[in-house]
Amino acid sequence: MIEVNHDCTCQGNPLVPQVCRITDIRNETGDVKTFRVQSLDGKRPFLPMPGQLGMWSMLGVGEAMFSITAFGEDWIESSIKAVGELTEAMHELSVGDFVGLRGPYGNGFPVDALKGRDILFIGGGIGAAPVRSLIRWCAVHREQYGRFDIVCGARTIDDVPFREDFFENWPKMDNTGVHITVDRKTDNWNGSVAFIPDYVETLGLTPENRKVVMCGPSIMIRLTTERLAKLGFARGDIITSMETRMKCGIGKCGRCNIGSKYVCLDGPVFTLTELDELPAE
Amino acid sequence: MRLNKKDLNKILSILAEGRELFVPGQVRGIKQFKLWEGEAPELDGENTILPPKDILFPKTEKMYTYKTGTEAEIAEIVDMPERIIFGLRACDMRSIECMDSVFIREGFEDSFYARRRAKSLIVAIACSGAGVNCFCESMGLDPNAAPSADIFLSDGGDCYGVEANTERGAAELKKWAEYLTEGDVPKSETHCSLAPAMSRELSKKLTGIFDDDELWQEVTGPCIQCGTCSFVCPTCYCFDINQADAGGEGVAFRCWDSCMFSDYNQNAGGHNTRPTKKQRLRNRYLHKLAYFNERHGMELCVGCGRCISKCPAHLDIAEFIDKTAEVCHD
Ligand SMILES: Cc1cc2nc3c(=O)[nH]c(=O)nc-3n(C[C@H](O)[C@H](O)[C@H](O)COP(=O)(O)OP(=O)(O)OC[C@H]3O[C@@H](n4cnc5c(N)ncnc54)[C@H](O)[C@@H]3O)c2cc1C
Ligand code: SF4
Ligand code: SF4
Ligand code: FES
Repeated sequence: MIEVNHDCTCQGNPLVPQVCRITDIRNETGDVKTFRVQSLDGKRPFLPMPGQLGMWSMLGVGEAMFSITAFGEDWIESSIKAVGELTEAMHELSVGDFVGLRGPYGNGFPVDALKGRDILFIGGGIGAAPVRSLIRWCAVHREQYGRFDIVCGARTIDDVPFREDFFENWPKMDNTGVHITVDRKTDNWNGSVAFIPDYVETLGLTPENRKVVMCGPSIMIRLTTERLAKLGFARGDIITSMETRMKCGIGKCGRCNIGSKYVCLDGPVFTLTELDELPAE
Repeated sequence: MRLNKKDLNKILSILAEGRELFVPGQVRGIKQFKLWEGEAPELDGENTILPPKDILFPKTEKMYTYKTGTEAEIAEIVDMPERIIFGLRACDMRSIECMDSVFIREGFEDSFYARRRAKSLIVAIACSGAGVNCFCESMGLDPNAAPSADIFLSDGGDCYGVEANTERGAAELKKWAEYLTEGDVPKSETHCSLAPAMSRELSKKLTGIFDDDELWQEVTGPCIQCGTCSFVCPTCYCFDINQADAGGEGVAFRCWDSCMFSDYNQNAGGHNTRPTKKQRLRNRYLHKLAYFNERHGMELCVGCGRCISKCPAHLDIAEFIDKTAEVCHD
């Protein structure tokens, strides 16, 4: 039998959201906005671990699951790309408006297993969102980890999210390289123009004592994995986060299963070796 | 203990006092569990066409009310009635064990289900007649016993054998005392009709045929993706969560869903984890017969045969088990 262990920081019923107030909204790119919220009594709604998920609810419209990309003393935030009815409606919200929020869900990144290791972080497009939560965690506990290489890929330079982190905060961290690449050149960019898989190969990174944390579109994951394999990276050392349709977040509604595993409960973070063991739906 | 059958109505009156009592009966010509209104329950013959699932896990269940705007608030709905399910059989009792395992025992507790379950008393009865599609014994069940029911009744001709399996059941029996007499009733001897070759060992082999495309094409070919099988199944527990908005306020509810529907796994942006019916039905069968066992140590199929009886395309999970037993033979 599969044991499920939960250190839940939600109060009460995990299926009932709490009302939160939006305290900040930032435009990341043309279609991604970051929403910062706190509970009505001015507290952090719950304490997430990096890579965990939050179910955001626009009362009257519906709910959807997003990575929690950062948290502070009294807030958490998620970055939401407008791709459909709910996310487009969310993009109409203003500071001071209310949303429902429940969580945190999922296993999160293995912050302990990564200790002492060099880490290659790769975020493709909005896939940078979950990676950001881990980088922020590792930055706070910087001395526990080895070298960081942070790769961000986007369609154009204007599609790079979290600009303050990628261009200001992270390049200043000790023993850290930040590498930006875009699919298409524009006048305001002189750096790399290459797809992530090709670009990663040129960075000269070796697999010794290094783990890879990679999130983004599945095509990017697949092609980048092939290149990393050529460089000698083992599938067990490549960690990613899965995206499936979710409704409950607690392994009850049945929606997000891959074989006997629930992405909302046993994931969303898996190593590629763990994913290899699941049936190829 | 024994209960004379002519006193059954008295017992039902005791059960119905201040509580909602559900018994097998006809609603618009369909045998199912219904609120008792003084009539004699339909305990004989084949099992109900619809399972008792919605008494504990309603088709539509309100979860919380909300208000939007400057006075935004969310209020959980916690009001659950006290209920009795009377005349439930071994297969349906096992299906409740499956739901208990999902909603109460594993990981987070599902408060909505847990509250209903805590307020429900179950009086099960020995099976009085197998339907043509029943195969509960192949799934490891005994139709003449329901050890996890609060109270169990076995058929002794003009009387019932009555035993309590739980403390709650024993407490309830005290209220029945004036109608109970000492004595036992021999265990009933009902056997199910179909005997497919399902051994509980089979489930471990089933995941091995995941990639057998030809087999799955053949098995799933006639399915029209109507979802009836999930609807009539006592163990199918998937649900959707939605909101009914009335402008500025509304209610969030959950409702039954089916993994047979194409939008079940539809992601924003167009990606679908199981875009074909082959993938969806394969998931249903393997969830029932293999995946669930890995998490909960039992199958998610109780052999009630309801999905076989009601499938418009004549898909037959018992036949599937037979077929795969051959394929899996090592
Ligand atoms: C773990 C996880 C969490 C997520 N959380 C959120 C969330 O919190 N909020 C949210 O809104 N969404 C979230 N998503 C959604 C998801 O990231 C997007 O649907 C997906 O990444 C597409 O993003 P995009 O359109 O920006 O990709 P694009 O910008 O089109 O592509 C991103 C990168 O992928 C590479 N790439 C693209 N196509 C190819 C190709 N053909 N070959 C090689 N490389 C290619 C490019 O180099 C590009 O840099 C999450 C996804 C994951 C995996
Ligand atoms: S009842 Fe039959 S036709 Fe309908 S979805 Fe189930 S298997 Fe397919
Ligand atoms: S899958 Fe069919 S036979 Fe098995 S429990 Fe469900 S309805 Fe009954
Ligand atoms: S989202 Fe409901 S089971 Fe995973």
